[in-house]
Amino acid sequence: MTLLLSLAIAMLFGAGATLLMKSDLIRIVVGMVLISNAANLFIMASGLSRGFAPLYPLPEGALVSDPLVQAMTLTAIVIGFSITALLLAIAYRAYLDLDSVELDELEEAEEREESEQEKEWRPF
Amino acid sequence: MTEPKTGSGAKGGATMTVMTQTIARILFLPALMTGIAVLIKGYADVGDGFNAGVIAGLAFLLQYVAFGYEEAREKLRTKYLPAIGFCGGLLLALLTAFVPLLLGKPIFTHSPAPGAEVIHIGTFELITAVAFDVGVFLMVFGFALGAIDIVARATSRNHAGGSAEEREAGT
Amino acid sequence: MYNVPTVRNTPTIRRLEGEHGSKQNRKHLELRFSRSQTHPPEDSPLTTLAVILPLALALVAAPLTALAGTIRTAWTAPVGVATAALAFAAVLWGWAFAGGGSVDFPWAPTWNLRLAFELDGLAALYAMLATGIGLAVVAYASKYLPLHLEHQNRPDTDIPRFHAFILMFMGSMVGLVMAQDLLLIFIFWDLTAIASYFLIAYDVHEEESRYSALMAMLVTGITAVLLLIGAMMLYVEYGTFLLPDLIETAEPGIYLTAAAAFMAIAGLAKSAQVPFHFWLPRAMAAPTPVSAYLHSAAMVAAGVFLIGRVYPLVQTSQFLLDALLVIGFASMVVGGILALSRDVLKQLLAYSTISQYGYVVFMFGLGGPYGAAAASFYVIAHALAKSALFLTAGAATESSGGETRLSHLGGMLRQQPLLAASSGAAAAGLAALPLTIGFFKDELFFEAALERGMPFPLLALFGAILTLTYMWRFWTGIFLGEERGESRPLPAAMLAPITILGVLTIVGGIFVAPFASLTEAAGMVSFNAETPISPAYHLDLRPVNLLALATFGLGALVIISRPLWAGAAGVFSRIGEVLGPQRWYDFSLTGLNKFSDRIHWLEVDTLRSRIVAILIPLGILVGAGLLVAAPAEAGIYSVGTVESADIPLIVALVLTAVAAVAATVPRNHLTLVLVLSASGFSLTAVYAFFGGPDVALVAVLVETILTILLLAVLALMPSAVLKRSETHGSTPGTKRRAYIVGGASAVVAFLGVWGALSRPTPEESVAAQHIELAPDAHANDIVTVILADFRGLDTLGEITVVGIALLGIAALLSRGRLW
Repeated sequence: MTLLLSLAIAMLFGAGATLLMKSDLIRIVVGMVLISNAANLFIMASGLSRGFAPLYPLPEGALVSDPLVQAMTLTAIVIGFSITALLLAIAYRAYLDLDSVELDELEEAEEREESEQEKEWRPF
Repeated sequence: MTEPKTGSGAKGGATMTVMTQTIARILFLPALMTGIAVLIKGYADVGDGFNAGVIAGLAFLLQYVAFGYEEAREKLRTKYLPAIGFCGGLLLALLTAFVPLLLGKPIFTHSPAPGAEVIHIGTFELITAVAFDVGVFLMVFGFALGAIDIVARATSRNHAGGSAEEREAGT
Repeated sequence: MYNVPTVRNTPTIRRLEGEHGSKQNRKHLELRFSRSQTHPPEDSPLTTLAVILPLALALVAAPLTALAGTIRTAWTAPVGVATAALAFAAVLWGWAFAGGGSVDFPWAPTWNLRLAFELDGLAALYAMLATGIGLAVVAYASKYLPLHLEHQNRPDTDIPRFHAFILMFMGSMVGLVMAQDLLLIFIFWDLTAIASYFLIAYDVHEEESRYSALMAMLVTGITAVLLLIGAMMLYVEYGTFLLPDLIETAEPGIYLTAAAAFMAIAGLAKSAQVPFHFWLPRAMAAPTPVSAYLHSAAMVAAGVFLIGRVYPLVQTSQFLLDALLVIGFASMVVGGILALSRDVLKQLLAYSTISQYGYVVFMFGLGGPYGAAAASFYVIAHALAKSALFLTAGAATESSGGETRLSHLGGMLRQQPLLAASSGAAAAGLAALPLTIGFFKDELFFEAALERGMPFPLLALFGAILTLTYMWRFWTGIFLGEERGESRPLPAAMLAPITILGVLTIVGGIFVAPFASLTEAAGMVSFNAETPISPAYHLDLRPVNLLALATFGLGALVIISRPLWAGAAGVFSRIGEVLGPQRWYDFSLTGLNKFSDRIHWLEVDTLRSRIVAILIPLGILVGAGLLVAAPAEAGIYSVGTVESADIPLIVALVLTAVAAVAATVPRNHLTLVLVLSASGFSLTAVYAFFGGPDVALVAVLVETILTILLLAVLALMPSAVLKRSETHGSTPGTKRRAYIVGGASAVVAFLGVWGALSRPTPEESVAAQHIELAPDAHANDIVTVILADFRGLDTLGEITVVGIALLGIAALLSRGRLW
């Protein structure tokens, strides 16, 4: 089970990293979602015990799932959600300002703006 | 145009049918009730402030999808809800966290103390930890609704006018 | 030659000397010196008030004035003058009537920090200068500033800013001079740097002003770090920041020398001594009242004040004293010669300041009771004269309609007799003519040099001749010679401060006793022993008088022979421009900028290189960690067991992983989002099978909202834009690179995660405790109680992140509004 979980986490992370290397902002956001999913699953998997849901009344002598990692995963999911929403907003904003969500094009646009600013800038 | 489209950017999104709108209208209150119930039962059963906040956010999202930004906003009076959730939630959470400090106790000392008698209203327990949970609920709900509202506004603007106006409004 | 043997410098011995000094000295002391710092004042309400009142009044002056100025611009100047006057009166009362005092509150006891302030002789001297000259400058500025702004077509609303920063300067100076704790000194030290930055850059539209302000800030700010380092070194060794304690306990040696040297360098840079002198003439870009204040009582004076404050530590090392001698003499000469070659009034005065504070540092270097006391006396005399001269320069420029060059001014004597007389007194004071306070400053200066022996009197003579010469140039350049154009009358508020300062210079030359007693009190703090001085006129041919006569005679000779050396002074200043330290400053600044650009482009060229810059070190770290930990953990990797109940979990897990990998394939964005949500929903099933209903519930809801949000954002973008990003940049090469990076990350992640998950379960766990404690917290749902109670502070932090993300989205898409 440990091996399987590790494999699944590694696949999630690897897929996320692959998407991060793309030049499309939406794919980068999706990559971030996959990486945070990998992290969430890792936290969940690092629980010390697995068994019944941690809810009283607990069955006598039965194994209870580690509630601490669940609490951590829960907050991690919500934070991951808010960060993803923020990233999406950034991507949309980039589209509004520069009319593209493609990294190379964004970079060109950025350099254009920078060189325009540089024209007005003198060292001292 | 009050009816937004879903789908990828193109013009071929499905228009919301009367059926969808009716179901959405019927589902709104029960969904909201579920959220509140999850919050109230938080200490006794599955669920907590995070869950409840997302469920309540989802209840509103359904209305936005079914009726479109303008109409949903008008009907549900959501204008100030995200701000209220944001400020109220933060304030409530901070209060429960820091008031014990003023009383000379460690931060996040909840009362009543362990072993003391707790007033129950059904499964709802009157303890400060629940108040903190309500703060979490308000915050998460404020976030979910705020994000949905802002994106929905952009969508409705996108449909209503040309890109020039939208760009101007966006900056 | 006066040598400071190391043995004499232990505090006890010095104190004994103070108590059993020669009979003559003691008598002298009883006559002139009523307050003895060897017996600190008793802690009474009066002495506490003597510290608190001046400090509080000086510190509230700036906020009060800023407030008044915001309400109504016209209120700025009166409120500024009133608060400065109150602060000055409080300092005067605190020292002359209440007799000084000290307060000491614990501040951060765990770090041994104390709010320790004392109004001792040194503090009183500098606090009186800071508040007194501050008062004169604020009064002068109330008329000067509106004219200044009018010339530049700027609105009156810029006035409050000026007064507020001048008074902030004053407040931080008063705090600085009273502070006894090195960390407090450092804080006020930096406050003065901040105030000076805003004041020098007051004419923000001028590039020159901004450049100069930044230079002053960088030079004094970077060296201020040395002050902090010195303080830290002493704290590490002796466990306290309190100066009196440090002076008691510090042992002479290399360590103390190094710490004292760091602090002294900070002081030297602030008082614009060679080789840090280049920032001061630049700072002349500020309006004239700022220059007057900076030079006489605030910024530059703070530098020598610091040396005076830590002087008991400095003088334990003969090496440091010799270094001060060299730096002081170099500043004296460089400043003096450059002052002779300048044409712009304020530039001349700026170089003269460098030269004059060179004297002070030189005297600290000479050492001995005379050196320490004479340095303090010199600061008073210089402050009175120099502030008057700067205000004169501003007045002359104003009256002539904006002329700042000496070669274009002249003949103002007839039109401005009062200005000529008052500034003549001030110039005479700086040039050390008899009947001015300046005569005594040079008398003490020569005395200190004579005490040390040859060749120092000759060096002192050289410096004094330079001073006489450039003061002559300054005054005659403005007031004598042929008249150049009409001279406009000046408002009384501008003339009055100059006249009062000029009169004080003369008064000090006749009734020197009050100044001398203040100096003795200050000198004793610096020298940590009695420093009796007796400035007086002696009509005989003692060496001091001979030196003074030589100054006047040789000075006249130099003035007459100006055509002979004017060229040489010009060449000297030209060399300084080409090879001087300012070149090095510019060079290192641009170099640093270039270097940081290089680093910047190396790391953050594109988003991809940024990601790689994170992933590669991460991989290396994890890999290194595995290599290091591998021998210890050999055989620890466990495959784990699979039971029949785990089959649903495994199915969900496989679905999650496969869907995630599949997400790297599709071109179409819609497919991408759907595949992503397939992976996400499978993951929620994993959570459910893990026995985490709370997590699964949240995950499924979040996944729903996220999918809809993603689709909505896709709907917002025209398909053309999305198409472009689908096709663009997806060459086989970039694709391969992405898969290689992804694959490598997966392998590293796998090894790291597997190693972490394989660790054996400990017997005792926090989770088990949480489970046991949940009923005590009145809860059935253990996860909820962990979130809301056991780890509430974590949750608070997390919802704050959520809130900030919401604000970020609002800022990006709806101008920051949540509605």
